[in-house]
Amino acid sequence: MENLDYARLQMAFTLGFHIIFACIGMVMPFFMVVSHHKWLKTRNPVYLKLTKAWLKGVAIFFVTGAVSGTALSFELGMLWPEFMKHAGPIIGMPFSLEGAAFFVEAIALGFYLYGWNKLPEKFHWFTGVIIGISGVLSGILVVAANGWMNAPSGFEYINGEFTNVDPVQAFLNPAWFSQALHMTLAAFVATSFGVAGIHAFQILRGKAVEVHKSAFKIAISFGAIAALLQPISGDISAKDVAERQPAKLAAMEAHFETEKGAPLFIGGVVDEENKEVNYKIEIPNALSFLAFGDFDAEVKGLNEFPEDEIPPVAIVHYAFQVMVGIGTLLALAGILFFISLKKKSWMNSKKYWWFFMLLAPLGFLALEAGWVVTEVGRQPWIIYQIMRTSDAVTPMPGMKFSFFMYVAVYILLAITVTWLMQRQIKALNTQKD
Amino acid sequence: MLYVVLFFLLFSLLLYVLLGGADFGAGIVELFSSRENKKVNRDTIYRVMGPIWEANHIWLIILIVILWIAFPVYFNIIIIYLHIPLTLVLLGITMRGVSFVFRHYDAFQDRSQLVYNGLFRFSSFVTPIFLGMCFAALVGGQLIVTEDYTNYGFYDLFMAPWFNGFSILMGLFYASLCAFLASTLLIGESEGDIRTMYIRKSKIATGILVVLGFVLIAYGFFNDIAFIRDFVTNPVSIICIILSGILLVPLWKFIRAGRRILSRYFAGMQVVLVLFAALIAHFPYVIITSDKEISLLEKISPDSVIMVLGISLIIGGGIILPGLFHLMKSFKMIKIFEKDEQQFQK
Repeated sequence: MENLDYARLQMAFTLGFHIIFACIGMVMPFFMVVSHHKWLKTRNPVYLKLTKAWLKGVAIFFVTGAVSGTALSFELGMLWPEFMKHAGPIIGMPFSLEGAAFFVEAIALGFYLYGWNKLPEKFHWFTGVIIGISGVLSGILVVAANGWMNAPSGFEYINGEFTNVDPVQAFLNPAWFSQALHMTLAAFVATSFGVAGIHAFQILRGKAVEVHKSAFKIAISFGAIAALLQPISGDISAKDVAERQPAKLAAMEAHFETEKGAPLFIGGVVDEENKEVNYKIEIPNALSFLAFGDFDAEVKGLNEFPEDEIPPVAIVHYAFQVMVGIGTLLALAGILFFISLKKKSWMNSKKYWWFFMLLAPLGFLALEAGWVVTEVGRQPWIIYQIMRTSDAVTPMPGMKFSFFMYVAVYILLAITVTWLMQRQIKALNTQKD
Repeated sequence: MLYVVLFFLLFSLLLYVLLGGADFGAGIVELFSSRENKKVNRDTIYRVMGPIWEANHIWLIILIVILWIAFPVYFNIIIIYLHIPLTLVLLGITMRGVSFVFRHYDAFQDRSQLVYNGLFRFSSFVTPIFLGMCFAALVGGQLIVTEDYTNYGFYDLFMAPWFNGFSILMGLFYASLCAFLASTLLIGESEGDIRTMYIRKSKIATGILVVLGFVLIAYGFFNDIAFIRDFVTNPVSIICIILSGILLVPLWKFIRAGRRILSRYFAGMQVVLVLFAALIAHFPYVIITSDKEISLLEKISPDSVIMVLGISLIIGGGIILPGLFHLMKSFKMIKIFEKDEQQFQK
């Protein structure tokens, strides 16, 4: 493998790590403030206990997300200096606003963490709300930069020079809205099902059931709503990709030949050499409809693009299948939860809790898969149709060592954080009222 | 608008050196303490710095974002040639951040604390050293900025500029500055024996700082490093350094008199003066490579970018600074009125 491959792997690995922690850090504050609100309203100590337990989780995830984010803000330049040299000034605006939002979050977290019994109750609660809002805002702003890589705008590209830069237009690039919506909902789905699943596991074990049931309900409510909205947002995203990045769409669907009334492939094994997909389920005309809202629309196949502008098909196709499959399953689970609110007896069944426990990691899997679709699907470009990833990489040799160091450190961190969460739960279970 | 951007660039640099530095320093003070004092220090810094400790490190992000948006030439040099020391800095920041939160938010206090504490102290000590080394590399005159990477060896391009005697001295100098800041800050947050302990630490740190400062200048002077040579021949820099030496006297008076807020301002003033002295001798030519000096204002981003950045910074600053100020005030990091101070003395 070459320097470029290691640089790409390192970026993928560190972003893949950061995305999990950042999403949890973004969404968990909302659970925390809902529980806090219930404590203020009902004065039921269960909610206070839960709020404080989640608060520690928020602190740990916030910091892990923050330090890995700090590392990323440097890494963008350290790995892709040529990209940042040109793109940095153009897409700087969302980053500088993100810095501000993140700062607000850190300040609010300071107030919230240290404000117990010191600040007026309502103000204290409100600082918790600010943590959540500014966290989501940071996420939305950062996605604007990624949207720009998919839909470069706000400049003119003449003879290899970026001129007439308009940062505001770059910020409001056409891919931003659909990507930010999809990403934010995904963060809610993944975190909610993850947290709910952990509490479902504790209910199964019969530990401190009352606390964990309250926790489960708060967490899953967010997730169920988000999971039901996600297919709509997915549809918006698909139509956007179909219009602006036909090669990505073709790779997502492993669609090799251009055709009218294109079928949708579900599953299947991609054979990149013979350019076909085996063992798939075919739904006639469905792809044309989903991409363009017309059963007979023409969908461009990969054969339309030069060899050196085609993304790795198999990875993108499989990742897309995983994302859509899990998304559908979680939306169904959301419906199941809403029904169980009416049919209370379901919640006494072990199967119910087993089901939600098993769903716990799936949201994150879908999150990572979706990110693979958008990032790998854009290859070989780092800025779509402007700059190739291979032209952006650092001239410094030896990225191999850097990659393995990051892998070692982040795996160690992931293990430690998981272990710490386990201890938080243990503490929650053994605490006396 | 360029001046607004420059102001925020220097402002975040100053605040990072100051507040981030005090954070690092707290860990350094803890590292060089007796076992008993380590525990005392651990509790004190959690109480004192806890609420803003994470906010302090965001200045670094703001700094790097401003650099990449407005000053791509500088950003590119820093990010390519300082790849290795910056990676070490990031590793240090990561370890320090997580070990701080782990040691205070772990559900159980048991033997794992030993690991968190060790990691926290160690990374607090080495990170500012690497930061100082990065700065030394930029001004040390050993950078080779080139398009033709194959002509030079790996060591000459990516190691030699930051890994040398001058940069190690600079790293140690910054680390002792951090320890000085932290111990001076903590004097005002403690009483009795603990207070005496921090006063002693602060004295030691001041001593080391002054000695290292002289060694650094002497080393640079005798090795003919352009940055130091220009520094000692620039009257403004010299005046700043002499002034910072003179101001040590009132600083110590205020510490002894228990004027904790004034002593903090004076400690901060020390940093302002040292930083100002270091930058003014060459400004806007901060980066000094092996064959030329590069201006910060060289090939800056187009006006439209600077404009939008300036506006974003004004809006962001307008939201952040009052919030930060209020946070510090709420938890008594700074006091605005002398009245509060009298109450404290009572």
